Amino acid sequence: MNYTALSLAQTPPLSVPLRFFITAPLFTIAAGLIALWFGPELFESRWSYPLLAATHAITLGFLGSVMIGALQQLLPVLAGTPLPKPVWLSATIHLLLTVGVLLLMAGWLLAEFALFEFAIWLLAAALLPLVLLLIVTLFRSESKHPSILTMIFAVIGLAVTAVLGLDLLAGYTWSEWVLNRGLTDIHLGWGLVGWLAVLVAGVAYQVVPMFQITPDYPKLMMRGYAPMLLGLLLLWTLLQADWITWLIALMLAVFAIVTLRLQHQRRRRIADVTLDFWRLAMGSLLLALLLWLLAPHLHLTPIAPVVVLIAGFAVSAVNGMLYKIVPFLIWLHLNNRVQALGSWQGKIPNMKQIIPERQARWQFRLQLAALIVLFGALLVPEWLLRPAALLWIASAAWLGWNLLAALYLFRRIVSDAQDVG
Amino acid sequence: MAEQLLDVSEMEPPEPLVLTLAAAESLATGDYLHMIHRRFPCLLFDNLDQRRCGYLKREAASGRFDVYIWSLDDPDAEMQARQAAEQLSA
Repeated sequence: MNYTALSLAQTPPLSVPLRFFITAPLFTIAAGLIALWFGPELFESRWSYPLLAATHAITLGFLGSVMIGALQQLLPVLAGTPLPKPVWLSATIHLLLTVGVLLLMAGWLLAEFALFEFAIWLLAAALLPLVLLLIVTLFRSESKHPSILTMIFAVIGLAVTAVLGLDLLAGYTWSEWVLNRGLTDIHLGWGLVGWLAVLVAGVAYQVVPMFQITPDYPKLMMRGYAPMLLGLLLLWTLLQADWITWLIALMLAVFAIVTLRLQHQRRRRIADVTLDFWRLAMGSLLLALLLWLLAPHLHLTPIAPVVVLIAGFAVSAVNGMLYKIVPFLIWLHLNNRVQALGSWQGKIPNMKQIIPERQARWQFRLQLAALIVLFGALLVPEWLLRPAALLWIASAAWLGWNLLAALYLFRRIVSDAQDVG
Repeated sequence: MAEQLLDVSEMEPPEPLVLTLAAAESLATGDYLHMIHRRFPCLLFDNLDQRRCGYLKREAASGRFDVYIWSLDDPDAEMQARQAAEQLSA
């Protein structure tokens, strides 16, 4: 087959998203190591410093990195609007974000709040200009696809989460800055719903029908879901009324059920590990909502729904997304690079060869086992938290290995092509 | 002189693009390609232009997308493809 260069003119260089994807699993490994070290102490209180360190390792270090990397990749292609100086921009944001999250984690783990002084500036410099740039770029987009509108709302969610988070961090850092712990729930709500859930929806509108060969999401849902969710979140922020929380939970449940239903209707009935990750994510979202409803009656730790939402829903969805986006990008760039080199006649691997299904499948099994044991650890942390941490570390390391192996394959083929050329 | 039918509607990216371009490049004289997809193939048309291929697009209300593709150096194939596209529209 003659693969000639494909014209995805707006695609940024491979390093733009991949630098974020490659380092992201290191943060989930770090979260697992924190759980392994501190054990059941982690779940003693929502204010425990190791829990705050582990949570931000996952939300900012893993989820934040992957989603910020993916946005820099997706925006130019979907919206047709390239970001300025993409390599410089991504390298700078990656460095600021990575060091910022490490300092944030170190500040909590060592109870050394002086480190937050640096973390605040680094994270603010990484996130706030990026948010502005993304919003301006999205508004300029000529594309009218609901994904774009949803991403605008997700980036607004990120902005609110970041501003509230930075304000809370300033409260820990400077004595003259009032630490308003009442903002923590609002920070959490905007982070989990306004940023993560909305962005997963925006990505799902594209990825689920395209890669999982399902019907499209209902048009009404694609147009209305994100603005309604953010509207309710704003109302909840102002009124803090229970009925608004119920409506938000209902909307999240509807998204999960619609996604599962679309996946059930898919036309191609062959095994696909990405599909399993997405099903695990949607199942976890429903479980998180159920736990939130039942928590007062089950004597469960109040952090249980949040743990299931972050570790089960968000991490699984992003993990599944990585198994489509990384092979696709490597295939695309490989195709363009080797063709640009001229007469090289070697064979370009297909997507299934870039990250073999078997490798991804084993990581899925580990992730599933890690989540089952982790959910059990919410009931009996003294028995199950450390085994859950070990499985979690193994799963994250396997994901990291699969991504690195794909990058190595890319470099080897480009190098072979250069040698022959 | 024949229609080469290629149904990519149950394939995931990048298979539809790769198979369509490969089929377009290997068209025999007088043949045209009739590609069926479940969605708008947004990356296809620039690549067909690069390969000196002509094309006609037809979108059904169901969302199904038909594309008729021929070599610009093959007027007979173009005529056949246009007739087929018209019949589909009718």
